[in-house]
Amino acid sequence: MSSRDRGARARRRRILLYGTAVLLLVLTLFPFFWLLQMSFRSNDDILGFTLLSRPTLEHYGALRVGQFPRSFANSILASIASTLLSLLLGVPAAYSLSRGEFRARRQLALWVLATRMAPPIAFTIPFFLAYRHLELLDTVLGLVLIYLTFNLALVIWMMRTFFDGVPRALEEAAWIDGSSVWGGFLRVTLPLAAPGLAATAVLCFIFSWNDFFYALILTRTAAMTAPVAIVNFMQYEGWEWGKIAAGGTLVMLPVVVFSLVVRNYLVHGLTAGGLKE
Amino acid sequence: MARMDRSLSDAALVHQAATRPPVGGWAAQRRRAFLLGLIPALVVLAAITLAPALYLLVTSLTPLSLVRPAETAWNFSRPWTNFVALMADARFTNSLGVQVRLSVVTVSLQLLAGLAVALLLNARSPLLEAVRTAFLVPMVLPPIVVAIIWKVLYTPEISPIHHLLARVGLPVSSLITNPRAALWAIALADTWEWFPFTMIMILAALQMIPEEPMEAARIDGAGPWQLFRFVILPLLRPTLLLATLFRLIDSIKAFPLIYVMTNGGPGMVTEVTNYYAFIQAFNFSYWGYASAITVIMVTGVFFLSWLITRVVGTEVDIE
Repeated sequence: MSSRDRGARARRRRILLYGTAVLLLVLTLFPFFWLLQMSFRSNDDILGFTLLSRPTLEHYGALRVGQFPRSFANSILASIASTLLSLLLGVPAAYSLSRGEFRARRQLALWVLATRMAPPIAFTIPFFLAYRHLELLDTVLGLVLIYLTFNLALVIWMMRTFFDGVPRALEEAAWIDGSSVWGGFLRVTLPLAAPGLAATAVLCFIFSWNDFFYALILTRTAAMTAPVAIVNFMQYEGWEWGKIAAGGTLVMLPVVVFSLVVRNYLVHGLTAGGLKE
Repeated sequence: MARMDRSLSDAALVHQAATRPPVGGWAAQRRRAFLLGLIPALVVLAAITLAPALYLLVTSLTPLSLVRPAETAWNFSRPWTNFVALMADARFTNSLGVQVRLSVVTVSLQLLAGLAVALLLNARSPLLEAVRTAFLVPMVLPPIVVAIIWKVLYTPEISPIHHLLARVGLPVSSLITNPRAALWAIALADTWEWFPFTMIMILAALQMIPEEPMEAARIDGAGPWQLFRFVILPLLRPTLLLATLFRLIDSIKAFPLIYVMTNGGPGMVTEVTNYYAFIQAFNFSYWGYASAITVIMVTGVFFLSWLITRVVGTEVDIE
């Protein structure tokens, strides 16, 4: 076989590979794009299967009245507050675990894994019962606290591996120059772990933002989040597909963008507690 | 490292002696600082995970119902009633069966689809790099949006798929209201949502496979299938087991898809154990009973993970 033949064969194989990959991708993402285009279709054409000719923003406009804006604000507030609180508690703990020689490290990893494994209903039942007495039902604070059940363990887990990757010699130099333990951490180690910190924060935000189950059970009206509000469009207001599609689009766009930004850390975050880095 | 530590602590000690009152030395001071960093997080973690677990366990021993809280709360007169009743509860047994079917089907399909797509995309090229990223979209969507997307696809009046099938003369009635198809419809949606997860895990493992064994096998005349069967697959084994573990655990949490698409029905064909516990607590207000179901579920999940990590643990280093 001549080398030119082989070259042509390799090229054909390459084209076939790319073609198959792109075709599979289009098929896979079709349901996602279908919802997206539905949100821009006018109501009399919502069930249309023709190409979208006259895109409209009427469904997005319809979302501006009623409960949706407030639920969207609740989602943002609960997600950001839970992320900040988890970082505040979890980052110093992660650093301590990375640097101090604690014998209970292994047990702690198991603990993190266990909280990751427990089904949400296992937290929901006791939290709901306790919240009745603490008057935390239907409050954003109540959501922030229950989101800690997954976010805090996640922060401790992820940040520990990032701190493990920062050389100790640098903070030790800061200590010799007179920094306190935490002073050296803030001035030297934390800035070096900043990309990891950003990725962890984004993951915390995404996991809180994506929550449906806890918000469904622990909120009613005042603290309702956007995912619950969309489902209410289905159940209480008849089948307003345009509004449902528009709400769904608004809820998914921020996470899709964020997730693709932190895609390299995604598996690490999703398998927290189970993978040795 | 140890020597560096010592010289460092010497230096720090000298420094400390000059500026601060020595309190048990630099090493002890560091240790106290680390404890201070660790304790708040551990206290909070215990308060939000261990305390609820204990509360759940205690509640499962009572007949708690919020309809009659006065008589049922903290009533331990017959602690095992819930568990005894569960053994005879056909709806509970049914939910376990549904769960096993759903988990086995979705995890197997996700492994197969993830493996196939990963093998296809495992080549260096900017185009494939972009394709790999785009494949992650289903997994990063909020689960409720996934549920809405598939509700649209499964509702004949608005579904493009039903529309297309009717056009070519093969009309299909709704899958999610059909008792024989509803569970598989949910399994398909779940597979779509989570095969990207197994795909990226496998892709990462594929990129770690060294070139030498592949080259050696090729020289020995191995074809693509033999290469896959005898070189690649054994090297992927730990990753496949780990992906199985995580998907299996998460498959037990399936909720939004079922809640939005079938509500556990038709009848009870899509009512998984998680969903049954939810109904018992939030629809029927049998909190003690729901807690007992949950306790059994959590025990099952832990046992299953322990079993798998024992298998995996011998091959990959699990902390």
